[in-house]
Amino acid sequence: MIKRLKKINKAKIFIGFASICGFLLFWYLGTAYTEVGKVMASPIDLFWRFLQSAYEPIGPHTIWGHLLSSISRVMMGFALASVCGILLGLVMGSSPLGEAIARPLFELLRPIPPIAWISIAVLWFGLGEMAKYFIIFLSGFFNITINIYTGAKAVDQELIGAAKMLGCSDRKIFTTIVLPSSVPYIFTGLHIALSSSWAAVVAAEMVRSTDGVGWLITQGMGISDTSQIMVGILSIGVVGFILSSIMRGVEAKLCAWSRVEKS
Amino acid sequence: MCLEPSREIMTNSVIKCENVSKQFYSDGEMVQVLEDISLEARENEILVIFGPGQCGKTTLLKAIAALEPATGGTITINGKKKTKPGPECGLVYQTIALFPWLTTMGNVEYGLKVKGMGKKERRERANKYIKLVGLEGFEKSFPIQLSGGMKQRVGIARVYCNEPDVMLLDEPFGHLDAQTRYLMQEELERIWQTEKRTIIFVTNNMEEAIYLADRIIVLTNCPAKIKQEFKVDFPRPRNITDPEFLKLRKEITGILDPLE
Ligand SMILES: Nc1ncnc2c1ncn2[C@@H]1O[C@H](COP(=O)(O)OP(=O)(O)O)[C@@H](O)[C@H]1O
Ligand SMILES: [Mg+2]
Repeated sequence: MIKRLKKINKAKIFIGFASICGFLLFWYLGTAYTEVGKVMASPIDLFWRFLQSAYEPIGPHTIWGHLLSSISRVMMGFALASVCGILLGLVMGSSPLGEAIARPLFELLRPIPPIAWISIAVLWFGLGEMAKYFIIFLSGFFNITINIYTGAKAVDQELIGAAKMLGCSDRKIFTTIVLPSSVPYIFTGLHIALSSSWAAVVAAEMVRSTDGVGWLITQGMGISDTSQIMVGILSIGVVGFILSSIMRGVEAKLCAWSRVEKS
Repeated sequence: MCLEPSREIMTNSVIKCENVSKQFYSDGEMVQVLEDISLEARENEILVIFGPGQCGKTTLLKAIAALEPATGGTITINGKKKTKPGPECGLVYQTIALFPWLTTMGNVEYGLKVKGMGKKERRERANKYIKLVGLEGFEKSFPIQLSGGMKQRVGIARVYCNEPDVMLLDEPFGHLDAQTRYLMQEELERIWQTEKRTIIFVTNNMEEAIYLADRIIVLTNCPAKIKQEFKVDFPRPRNITDPEFLKLRKEITGILDPLE
Protein backbone atom coordinates (compact mmCIF):
# COMPACT_ATOMS: atom_id res chain seq x y z
CA MET A 1 0.00 0.00 0.00
CA ILE A 2 2.64 2.46 1.11
CA LYS A 3 4.88 1.39 -1.75
CA ARG A 4 2.12 2.11 -4.20
CA LEU A 5 1.49 5.50 -2.64
CA LYS A 6 5.17 6.35 -3.01
CA LYS A 7 5.05 5.33 -6.63
CA ILE A 8 2.04 7.54 -7.23
CA ASN A 9 3.82 10.41 -5.52
CA LYS A 10 6.89 9.97 -7.70
CA ALA A 11 4.76 9.94 -10.83
CA LYS A 12 3.00 13.07 -9.65
CA ILE A 13 6.25 14.92 -9.04
CA PHE A 14 7.54 13.85 -12.44
CA ILE A 15 4.39 14.98 -14.24
CA GLY A 16 4.44 18.31 -12.36
CA PHE A 17 8.05 18.86 -13.37
CA ALA A 18 7.33 17.94 -16.97
CA SER A 19 4.39 20.33 -17.09
CA ILE A 20 6.54 23.24 -15.90
CA CYS A 21 9.24 22.36 -18.45
CA GLY A 22 6.62 22.14 -21.18
CA PHE A 23 5.29 25.55 -20.23
CA LEU A 24 8.79 27.07 -20.36
CA LEU A 25 9.45 25.48 -23.73
CA PHE A 26 6.18 26.78 -25.12
CA TRP A 27 7.01 30.22 -23.81
CA TYR A 28 10.49 30.12 -25.27
CA LEU A 29 9.27 29.03 -28.70
CA GLY A 30 6.58 31.66 -28.61
CA THR A 31 9.00 34.49 -27.90
CA ALA A 32 11.70 33.22 -30.25
CA TYR A 33 9.59 32.59 -33.34
CA THR A 34 6.49 34.80 -33.15
CA GLU A 35 5.54 38.44 -32.70
CA VAL A 36 5.10 37.86 -28.97
CA GLY A 37 8.86 38.23 -28.67
CA LYS A 38 8.50 41.96 -29.17
CA VAL A 39 6.40 42.54 -26.04
CA MET A 40 7.65 39.72 -23.83
CA ALA A 41 11.07 38.55 -22.75
CA SER A 42 12.02 34.91 -23.37
CA PRO A 43 12.45 32.70 -20.31
CA ILE A 44 16.20 32.61 -20.87
CA ASP A 45 16.53 36.39 -20.99
CA LEU A 46 14.33 36.57 -18.01
CA PHE A 47 16.47 34.11 -16.12
CA TRP A 48 19.58 36.25 -16.74
CA ARG A 49 17.70 39.37 -15.82
CA PHE A 50 16.64 37.70 -12.61
CA LEU A 51 20.22 36.73 -11.76
CA GLN A 52 21.35 40.24 -12.58
CA SER A 53 18.75 41.76 -10.31
CA ALA A 54 20.15 39.66 -7.47
CA TYR A 55 23.29 41.81 -7.28
CA GLU A 56 22.51 44.92 -9.35
CA PRO A 57 20.09 47.27 -7.58
CA ILE A 58 16.87 48.30 -9.30
CA GLY A 59 16.01 51.64 -7.75
CA PRO A 60 16.90 51.54 -4.04
CA HIS A 61 17.66 47.78 -3.63
CA THR A 62 18.48 44.55 -5.37
CA ILE A 63 15.61 42.07 -5.78
CA TRP A 64 16.39 40.70 -2.29
CA GLY A 65 15.91 44.10 -0.75
CA HIS A 66 12.58 44.56 -2.49
CA LEU A 67 11.39 41.14 -1.45
CA LEU A 68 12.52 41.78 2.10
CA SER A 69 10.55 45.04 2.25
CA SER A 70 7.42 43.36 0.95
CA ILE A 71 7.77 40.32 3.20
CA SER A 72 8.34 42.40 6.31
CA ARG A 73 5.23 44.43 5.52
CA VAL A 74 3.26 41.22 5.13
CA MET A 75 4.62 39.81 8.38
CA MET A 76 3.69 42.95 10.28
CA GLY A 77 0.12 43.09 8.96
CA PHE A 78 -0.32 39.34 9.12
CA ALA A 79 0.85 39.10 12.73
CA LEU A 80 -1.59 41.82 13.74
CA ALA A 81 -4.40 40.15 11.79
CA SER A 82 -3.62 36.75 13.36
CA VAL A 83 -3.74 38.01 16.93
CA CYS A 84 -6.93 40.03 16.43
CA GLY A 85 -8.59 37.43 14.19
CA ILE A 86 -7.92 34.49 16.50
CA LEU A 87 -9.17 36.42 19.53
CA LEU A 88 -12.31 37.74 17.85
CA GLY A 89 -13.04 34.38 16.19
CA LEU A 90 -12.79 32.51 19.48
CA VAL A 91 -14.94 35.05 21.29
CA MET A 92 -17.59 34.98 18.57
CA GLY A 93 -17.55 31.21 18.41
CA SER A 94 -17.69 30.45 22.10
CA SER A 95 -19.77 33.26 23.60
CA PRO A 96 -23.33 33.85 22.38
CA LEU A 97 -23.18 37.48 23.57
CA GLY A 98 -19.94 38.08 21.69
CA GLU A 99 -21.49 36.50 18.63
CA ALA A 100 -24.60 38.68 18.86
CA ILE A 101 -22.52 41.85 19.11
CA ALA A 102 -19.80 41.17 16.57
CA ARG A 103 -21.43 39.00 13.93
CA PRO A 104 -23.66 41.58 12.15
CA LEU A 105 -20.91 44.18 11.98
CA PHE A 106 -18.47 41.57 10.85
CA GLU A 107 -20.74 40.27 8.09
CA LEU A 108 -21.26 43.82 6.86
CA LEU A 109 -17.55 44.62 6.57
CA ARG A 110 -16.36 41.21 5.39
CA PRO A 111 -17.47 41.37 1.74
CA ILE A 112 -15.56 44.62 1.13
CA PRO A 113 -12.37 43.72 -0.77
CA PRO A 114 -9.26 45.05 1.02
CA ILE A 115 -8.24 46.98 -2.08
CA ALA A 116 -11.38 49.10 -1.68
CA TRP A 117 -9.93 50.46 1.55
CA ILE A 118 -6.75 51.76 -0.06
CA SER A 119 -7.94 55.32 -0.67
CA ILE A 120 -9.32 55.72 2.80
CA ALA A 121 -6.21 54.13 4.29
CA VAL A 122 -4.08 56.71 2.52
CA LEU A 123 -6.30 59.52 3.82
CA TRP A 124 -6.21 58.17 7.36
CA PHE A 125 -2.63 57.05 7.61
CA GLY A 126 -0.83 59.01 4.91
CA LEU A 127 1.44 57.46 2.36
CA GLY A 128 3.77 55.70 4.78
CA GLU A 129 3.94 52.16 6.04
CA MET A 130 0.87 52.38 8.26
CA ALA A 131 -1.51 52.48 5.31
CA LYS A 132 0.07 49.32 3.90
CA TYR A 133 -0.10 47.52 7.24
CA PHE A 134 -3.74 48.47 7.43
CA ILE A 135 -4.56 46.99 4.01
CA ILE A 136 -2.65 43.80 4.74
CA PHE A 137 -4.27 43.56 8.14
CA LEU A 138 -7.75 43.80 6.62
CA SER A 139 -7.02 41.24 3.94
CA GLY A 140 -5.96 38.69 6.56
CA PHE A 141 -8.20 39.59 9.48
CA PHE A 142 -11.58 38.62 8.01
CA ASN A 143 -10.35 35.30 6.66
CA ILE A 144 -8.80 34.35 9.97
CA THR A 145 -11.78 35.44 12.04
CA ILE A 146 -14.38 33.63 9.95
CA ASN A 147 -12.45 30.35 9.98
CA ILE A 148 -11.78 30.38 13.69
CA TYR A 149 -15.34 31.38 14.41
CA THR A 150 -16.51 28.40 12.35
CA GLY A 151 -14.04 26.15 14.16
CA ALA A 152 -15.08 27.24 17.63
CA LYS A 153 -18.75 26.81 16.69
CA ALA A 154 -18.11 23.37 15.27
CA VAL A 155 -16.72 21.94 18.50
CA ASP A 156 -18.38 18.59 19.10
CA GLN A 157 -20.80 19.10 22.02
CA GLU A 158 -20.31 15.47 22.96
CA LEU A 159 -16.62 16.14 23.56
CA ILE A 160 -17.52 19.03 25.84
CA GLY A 161 -19.87 16.69 27.71
CA ALA A 162 -17.17 14.03 27.91
CA ALA A 163 -14.70 16.56 29.31
CA LYS A 164 -17.15 17.77 31.95
CA MET A 165 -17.83 14.21 33.01
CA LEU A 166 -14.13 13.65 33.44
CA GLY A 167 -14.06 16.54 35.88
CA CYS A 168 -13.12 19.46 33.65
CA SER A 169 -14.13 22.91 34.87
CA ASP A 170 -15.88 25.39 32.56
CA ARG A 171 -12.76 27.50 32.35
CA LYS A 172 -10.60 24.60 31.28
CA ILE A 173 -13.15 23.48 28.67
CA PHE A 174 -11.97 26.41 26.61
CA THR A 175 -8.26 25.68 26.80
CA THR A 176 -8.43 21.89 26.70
CA ILE A 177 -11.33 21.33 24.26
CA VAL A 178 -12.42 24.39 22.29
CA LEU A 179 -8.93 25.63 21.48
CA PRO A 180 -7.29 22.36 20.40
CA SER A 181 -10.27 21.26 18.35
CA SER A 182 -10.18 24.62 16.53
CA VAL A 183 -6.53 24.24 15.53
CA PRO A 184 -7.18 22.83 12.03
CA TYR A 185 -9.61 25.70 11.38
CA ILE A 186 -7.09 28.20 12.74
CA PHE A 187 -4.56 26.91 10.25
CA THR A 188 -6.96 27.01 7.33
CA GLY A 189 -7.65 30.64 8.23
CA LEU A 190 -3.98 31.53 8.60
CA HIS A 191 -3.15 29.84 5.34
CA ILE A 192 -5.76 31.70 3.31
CA ALA A 193 -4.89 34.93 5.11
CA LEU A 194 -1.20 34.63 4.32
CA SER A 195 -1.94 34.20 0.61
CA SER A 196 -4.30 37.14 0.51
CA SER A 197 -1.93 39.30 2.56
CA TRP A 198 0.78 38.60 0.05
CA ALA A 199 -1.58 39.63 -2.74
CA ALA A 200 -2.59 42.75 -0.83
CA VAL A 201 0.96 43.96 -0.23
CA VAL A 202 1.60 43.98 -3.95
CA ALA A 203 -1.56 45.98 -4.56
CA ALA A 204 -0.71 48.42 -1.78
CA GLU A 205 2.80 48.91 -3.10
CA MET A 206 1.56 49.45 -6.62
CA VAL A 207 -0.57 52.34 -5.44
CA ARG A 208 2.19 54.19 -3.70
CA SER A 209 5.57 53.03 -2.52
CA THR A 210 9.29 53.61 -2.85
CA ASP A 211 10.33 49.97 -2.79
CA GLY A 212 8.98 46.40 -2.73
CA VAL A 213 7.93 44.01 -5.49
CA GLY A 214 4.78 46.00 -6.21
CA TRP A 215 6.94 49.06 -6.79
CA LEU A 216 9.19 47.00 -9.06
CA ILE A 217 6.20 46.29 -11.30
CA THR A 218 4.79 49.84 -11.47
CA GLN A 219 8.24 51.28 -11.96
CA GLY A 220 8.86 48.78 -14.78
CA MET A 221 5.61 49.87 -16.34
CA GLY A 222 6.70 53.53 -16.12
CA ILE A 223 9.89 52.82 -18.07
CA SER A 224 8.30 50.18 -20.35
CA ASP A 225 10.65 47.46 -19.16
CA THR A 226 8.71 44.20 -19.57
CA SER A 227 11.42 42.00 -18.19
CA GLN A 228 11.59 44.05 -14.99
CA ILE A 229 7.83 43.67 -14.67
CA MET A 230 8.13 39.96 -15.20
CA VAL A 231 10.94 39.61 -12.71
CA GLY A 232 8.57 41.23 -10.23
CA ILE A 233 5.66 38.99 -11.17
CA LEU A 234 7.73 35.82 -11.03
CA SER A 235 9.24 36.61 -7.67
CA ILE A 236 5.72 37.23 -6.32
CA GLY A 237 4.78 33.75 -7.51
CA VAL A 238 7.86 32.09 -6.08
CA VAL A 239 7.61 33.78 -2.68
CA GLY A 240 3.87 33.08 -2.49
CA PHE A 241 4.60 29.44 -3.16
CA ILE A 242 7.34 29.31 -0.51
CA LEU A 243 5.16 31.00 2.14
CA SER A 244 2.35 28.58 1.36
CA SER A 245 4.67 25.57 1.62
CA ILE A 246 6.00 26.70 4.99
CA MET A 247 2.45 27.08 6.23
CA ARG A 248 1.54 23.62 4.98
CA GLY A 249 4.58 22.13 6.69
CA VAL A 250 3.74 23.67 10.07
CA GLU A 251 0.13 22.62 9.64
CA ALA A 252 1.05 19.03 8.85
CA LYS A 253 3.08 18.91 12.08
CA LEU A 254 0.49 20.48 14.37
CA CYS A 255 -2.60 18.88 12.89
CA ALA A 256 -1.16 15.40 12.55
CA TRP A 257 -4.06 14.04 14.59
CA SER A 258 -6.62 15.00 11.99
CA ARG A 259 -4.64 13.79 9.02
CA VAL A 260 -2.55 10.70 9.74
CA GLU A 261 -3.34 7.72 7.59
CA LYS A 262 -4.51 4.57 9.27
CA SER A 263 -1.62 2.14 9.16
CA MET B 1 -18.06 -24.95 38.13
CA CYS B 2 -17.07 -22.30 40.60
CA LEU B 3 -14.93 -19.69 38.93
CA GLU B 4 -15.75 -16.91 41.32
CA PRO B 5 -13.85 -17.37 44.53
CA SER B 6 -15.04 -14.30 46.35
CA ARG B 7 -17.63 -12.00 44.93
CA GLU B 8 -17.91 -8.82 46.92
CA ILE B 9 -21.17 -8.52 48.74
CA MET B 10 -23.33 -6.35 46.59
CA THR B 11 -25.81 -4.67 48.79
CA ASN B 12 -24.99 -0.95 49.05
CA SER B 13 -26.76 0.87 46.33
CA VAL B 14 -24.42 3.34 44.67
CA ILE B 15 -26.91 4.93 42.39
CA LYS B 16 -30.61 5.37 42.80
CA CYS B 17 -33.17 6.63 40.30
CA GLU B 18 -36.61 7.38 41.65
CA ASN B 19 -39.57 7.98 39.34
CA VAL B 20 -37.36 9.47 36.67
CA SER B 21 -39.13 10.84 33.65
CA LYS B 22 -38.10 12.91 30.67
CA GLN B 23 -40.00 14.83 28.03
CA PHE B 24 -38.69 16.59 25.00
CA TYR B 25 -40.43 19.41 23.25
CA SER B 26 -39.96 19.40 19.53
CA ASP B 27 -42.02 21.66 17.25
CA GLY B 28 -44.21 22.54 20.20
CA GLU B 29 -45.15 18.93 20.62
CA MET B 30 -44.35 17.06 23.81
CA VAL B 31 -42.62 13.71 23.44
CA GLN B 32 -42.43 11.49 26.51
CA VAL B 33 -39.25 9.41 26.33
CA LEU B 34 -38.76 8.15 29.89
CA GLU B 35 -41.70 7.31 32.12
CA ASP B 36 -41.50 6.64 35.84
CA ILE B 37 -38.20 4.80 35.92
CA SER B 38 -37.00 3.66 39.33
CA LEU B 39 -33.90 1.58 39.61
CA GLU B 40 -30.75 1.19 41.63
CA ALA B 41 -27.30 -0.09 40.89
CA ARG B 42 -25.41 -1.80 43.71
CA GLU B 43 -21.76 -1.59 44.44
CA ASN B 44 -19.54 -3.45 41.97
CA GLU B 45 -22.33 -5.02 40.00
CA ILE B 46 -22.94 -4.91 36.28
CA LEU B 47 -26.48 -3.74 35.74
CA VAL B 48 -27.57 -4.16 32.15
CA ILE B 49 -30.31 -2.01 30.73
CA PHE B 50 -31.81 -3.83 27.80
CA GLY B 51 -34.22 -2.21 25.40
CA PRO B 52 -35.00 -1.84 21.71
CA GLY B 53 -33.36 0.84 19.56
CA GLN B 54 -34.70 4.39 19.97
CA CYS B 55 -36.53 3.50 23.18
CA GLY B 56 -34.71 6.05 25.34
CA LYS B 57 -31.64 4.22 26.66
CA THR B 58 -29.20 6.98 25.80
CA THR B 59 -31.66 9.51 27.18
CA LEU B 60 -31.72 7.60 30.47
CA LEU B 61 -27.93 7.49 30.75
CA LYS B 62 -27.62 11.18 29.91
CA ALA B 63 -30.21 11.91 32.56
CA ILE B 64 -28.28 9.87 35.13
CA ALA B 65 -25.09 11.69 34.16
CA ALA B 66 -27.00 15.00 34.36
CA LEU B 67 -25.74 15.88 30.89
CA GLU B 68 -29.36 16.36 29.86
CA PRO B 69 -31.16 16.36 33.19
CA ALA B 70 -34.41 14.48 33.72
CA THR B 71 -37.61 16.51 33.80
CA GLY B 72 -39.04 14.55 36.72
CA GLY B 73 -37.89 12.34 39.59
CA THR B 74 -34.61 12.28 41.47
CA ILE B 75 -31.23 10.70 40.87
CA THR B 76 -28.78 10.21 43.72
CA ILE B 77 -25.25 8.90 43.66
CA ASN B 78 -23.93 7.67 46.99
CA GLY B 79 -26.71 9.61 48.67
CA LYS B 80 -25.91 12.89 46.92
CA LYS B 81 -28.39 14.36 44.51
CA LYS B 82 -27.02 14.55 40.99
CA THR B 83 -27.66 17.90 39.33
CA LYS B 84 -24.72 18.64 37.08
CA PRO B 85 -22.22 16.56 35.11
CA GLY B 86 -19.12 15.64 37.02
CA PRO B 87 -16.47 13.00 37.57
CA GLU B 88 -18.53 10.80 39.92
CA CYS B 89 -20.21 9.41 36.78
CA GLY B 90 -18.09 8.13 33.94
CA LEU B 91 -19.73 7.74 30.53
CA VAL B 92 -18.42 5.56 27.75
CA TYR B 93 -20.17 6.96 24.70
CA GLN B 94 -22.04 5.10 22.03
CA THR B 95 -20.12 7.32 19.60
CA ILE B 96 -16.86 6.69 21.52
CA ALA B 97 -16.14 10.46 21.64
CA LEU B 98 -12.40 10.36 22.21
CA PHE B 99 -10.50 13.63 22.03
CA PRO B 100 -9.04 13.28 18.53
CA TRP B 101 -6.13 15.65 19.16
CA LEU B 102 -4.87 13.64 22.11
CA THR B 103 -2.98 10.37 21.98
CA THR B 104 -4.10 7.26 23.83
CA MET B 105 -2.08 8.45 26.81
CA GLY B 106 -3.48 11.97 26.52
CA ASN B 107 -7.04 10.68 26.47
CA VAL B 108 -6.60 8.28 29.37
CA GLU B 109 -4.84 10.78 31.62
CA TYR B 110 -7.14 13.70 30.69
CA GLY B 111 -9.36 13.47 33.76
CA LEU B 112 -6.40 13.30 36.11
CA LYS B 113 -4.69 16.19 34.35
CA VAL B 114 -7.62 18.59 34.59
CA LYS B 115 -7.87 17.70 38.25
CA GLY B 116 -4.30 18.90 38.64
CA MET B 117 -2.54 15.63 39.40
CA GLY B 118 1.23 15.75 38.86
CA LYS B 119 2.67 14.34 35.67
CA LYS B 120 4.59 11.44 37.17
CA GLU B 121 1.71 10.19 39.25
CA ARG B 122 -0.89 10.47 36.52
CA ARG B 123 1.36 8.80 33.94
CA GLU B 124 1.80 5.90 36.31
CA ARG B 125 -1.93 5.58 36.85
CA ALA B 126 -2.75 5.98 33.16
CA ASN B 127 -0.15 3.40 32.22
CA LYS B 128 -1.73 0.92 34.60
CA TYR B 129 -5.10 1.25 32.89
CA ILE B 130 -3.68 1.32 29.38
CA LYS B 131 -2.09 -1.99 30.25
CA LEU B 132 -5.31 -3.26 31.83
CA VAL B 133 -7.30 -2.68 28.63
CA GLY B 134 -4.53 -4.22 26.53
CA LEU B 135 -3.26 -1.15 24.70
CA GLU B 136 0.40 -1.33 25.63
CA GLY B 137 2.49 -0.06 22.72
CA PHE B 138 -0.24 2.25 21.48
CA GLU B 139 0.27 5.02 24.04
CA LYS B 140 1.41 7.48 21.39
CA SER B 141 -1.22 6.67 18.76
CA PHE B 142 -3.91 9.14 17.89
CA PRO B 143 -7.52 7.87 17.82
CA ILE B 144 -7.60 8.14 14.02
CA GLN B 145 -4.84 5.54 13.88
CA LEU B 146 -6.73 2.98 15.98
CA SER B 147 -9.34 0.41 14.99
CA GLY B 148 -12.89 0.57 16.34
CA GLY B 149 -12.26 -1.99 19.09
CA MET B 150 -9.06 -0.27 20.16
CA LYS B 151 -10.77 3.11 20.28
CA GLN B 152 -13.41 1.74 22.58
CA ARG B 153 -10.66 0.27 24.79
CA VAL B 154 -9.29 3.80 25.09
CA GLY B 155 -12.81 5.00 25.95
CA ILE B 156 -13.06 2.39 28.70
CA ALA B 157 -9.57 3.12 30.05
CA ARG B 158 -10.27 6.86 30.08
CA VAL B 159 -13.27 6.32 32.33
CA TYR B 160 -11.71 3.55 34.44
CA CYS B 161 -8.65 5.68 35.13
CA ASN B 162 -10.80 8.50 36.45
CA GLU B 163 -12.26 6.20 39.13
CA PRO B 164 -15.89 7.34 39.02
CA ASP B 165 -18.42 5.99 41.50
CA VAL B 166 -20.39 4.56 38.64
CA MET B 167 -19.54 3.82 35.02
CA LEU B 168 -22.18 4.23 32.36
CA LEU B 169 -21.56 2.33 29.14
CA ASP B 170 -23.87 3.25 26.28
CA GLU B 171 -23.93 0.45 23.70
CA PRO B 172 -20.14 0.62 23.69
CA PHE B 173 -19.74 -2.28 21.27
CA GLY B 174 -22.65 -1.39 19.01
CA HIS B 175 -20.46 -0.24 16.13
CA LEU B 176 -18.10 -3.20 16.18
CA ASP B 177 -18.19 -6.22 13.92
CA ALA B 178 -19.56 -9.40 15.51
CA GLN B 179 -16.20 -11.02 16.20
CA THR B 180 -14.64 -7.92 17.77
CA ARG B 181 -17.82 -7.50 19.74
CA TYR B 182 -17.51 -10.96 21.37
CA LEU B 183 -13.88 -10.28 22.09
CA MET B 184 -14.68 -6.94 23.70
CA GLN B 185 -17.39 -8.50 25.86
CA GLU B 186 -14.85 -10.99 27.17
CA GLU B 187 -12.34 -8.20 27.62
CA LEU B 188 -14.76 -6.03 29.55
CA GLU B 189 -15.56 -8.93 31.85
CA ARG B 190 -11.85 -9.57 32.38
CA ILE B 191 -11.18 -5.89 33.10
CA TRP B 192 -14.08 -5.77 35.53
CA GLN B 193 -12.96 -9.00 37.23
CA THR B 194 -9.47 -7.51 37.64
CA GLU B 195 -10.79 -4.30 39.10
CA LYS B 196 -14.43 -4.30 40.16
CA ARG B 197 -16.54 -1.24 39.43
CA THR B 198 -20.21 -0.39 39.49
CA ILE B 199 -21.28 -0.50 35.85
CA ILE B 200 -24.53 0.35 34.13
CA PHE B 201 -24.31 -1.21 30.71
CA VAL B 202 -26.82 -0.34 28.00
CA THR B 203 -27.42 -2.65 25.08
CA ASN B 204 -30.02 -3.84 22.61
CA ASN B 205 -28.28 -7.18 22.20
CA MET B 206 -29.71 -9.95 24.35
CA GLU B 207 -26.69 -12.27 24.32
CA GLU B 208 -24.46 -9.38 25.33
CA ALA B 209 -26.86 -8.58 28.15
CA ILE B 210 -26.95 -12.11 29.53
CA TYR B 211 -23.21 -12.59 29.10
CA LEU B 212 -22.30 -9.51 31.15
CA ALA B 213 -25.09 -8.83 33.60
CA ASP B 214 -25.62 -9.44 37.28
CA ARG B 215 -29.08 -8.06 36.75
CA ILE B 216 -30.95 -7.13 33.59
CA ILE B 217 -33.60 -4.44 33.46
CA VAL B 218 -35.79 -4.74 30.39
CA LEU B 219 -37.29 -1.52 29.06
CA THR B 220 -40.42 -1.13 26.97
CA ASN B 221 -40.50 0.72 23.68
CA CYS B 222 -40.76 4.52 23.71
CA PRO B 223 -41.75 5.89 26.16
CA ALA B 224 -39.35 3.69 28.09
CA LYS B 225 -40.78 2.12 31.24
CA ILE B 226 -39.34 -0.72 33.24
CA LYS B 227 -40.92 -3.91 32.01
CA GLN B 228 -39.23 -6.49 34.16
CA GLU B 229 -36.05 -7.25 36.03
CA PHE B 230 -34.05 -10.45 35.72
CA LYS B 231 -31.33 -11.72 37.99
CA VAL B 232 -28.49 -13.50 36.26
CA ASP B 233 -26.84 -15.61 38.93
CA PHE B 234 -25.11 -18.39 37.10
CA PRO B 235 -21.32 -18.31 37.16
CA ARG B 236 -18.99 -16.36 34.89
CA PRO B 237 -17.54 -16.61 32.33
CA ARG B 238 -20.78 -17.62 30.69
CA ASN B 239 -21.27 -19.47 27.50
CA ILE B 240 -24.07 -18.89 25.06
CA THR B 241 -24.61 -22.68 24.81
CA ASP B 242 -25.05 -23.18 28.57
CA PRO B 243 -28.52 -24.53 29.29
CA GLU B 244 -29.03 -21.77 31.86
CA PHE B 245 -28.07 -19.14 29.29
CA LEU B 246 -30.56 -20.51 26.80
CA LYS B 247 -33.28 -20.79 29.41
CA LEU B 248 -32.91 -17.17 30.45
CA ARG B 249 -32.83 -16.03 26.88
CA LYS B 250 -36.09 -17.83 26.23
CA GLU B 251 -37.58 -16.30 29.33
CA ILE B 252 -36.65 -12.76 28.29
CA THR B 253 -37.76 -13.29 24.70
CA GLY B 254 -41.09 -14.43 26.08
CA ILE B 255 -41.88 -11.10 27.68
CA LEU B 256 -40.95 -8.92 24.70
CA ASP B 257 -43.73 -7.56 22.55
CA PRO B 258 -43.74 -9.09 19.11
CA LEU B 259 -43.02 -5.65 17.63
CA GLU B 260 -39.85 -5.30 19.60
N1 LIG C 1 -32.85 16.21 22.22
C1 LIG C 1 -33.93 15.52 21.80
N2 LIG C 1 -35.04 16.17 21.36
C2 LIG C 1 -36.13 15.49 20.95
N3 LIG C 1 -36.23 14.15 20.94
C3 LIG C 1 -35.16 13.44 21.36
C4 LIG C 1 -33.94 14.08 21.81
N4 LIG C 1 -33.06 13.13 22.16
C5 LIG C 1 -33.67 11.96 21.94
N5 LIG C 1 -34.92 12.13 21.47
C6 LIG C 1 -35.87 11.08 21.13
O1 LIG C 1 -35.95 10.18 22.19
C7 LIG C 1 -36.06 8.85 21.72
C8 LIG C 1 -35.05 7.97 22.40
O2 LIG C 1 -33.75 8.30 21.98
P1 LIG C 1 -32.47 7.57 22.56
O3 LIG C 1 -32.42 7.75 24.03
O4 LIG C 1 -31.29 8.05 21.80
O5 LIG C 1 -32.76 6.04 22.19
P2 LIG C 1 -31.78 4.79 22.31
O6 LIG C 1 -30.51 5.23 22.91
O7 LIG C 1 -32.54 3.81 23.18
O8 LIG C 1 -31.64 4.25 20.94
C9 LIG C 1 -35.90 8.90 20.23
O9 LIG C 1 -37.16 8.71 19.62
C10 LIG C 1 -35.38 10.28 19.95
O10 LIG C 1 -35.90 10.76 18.74
MG1 LIG D 1 -28.61 5.20 22.17
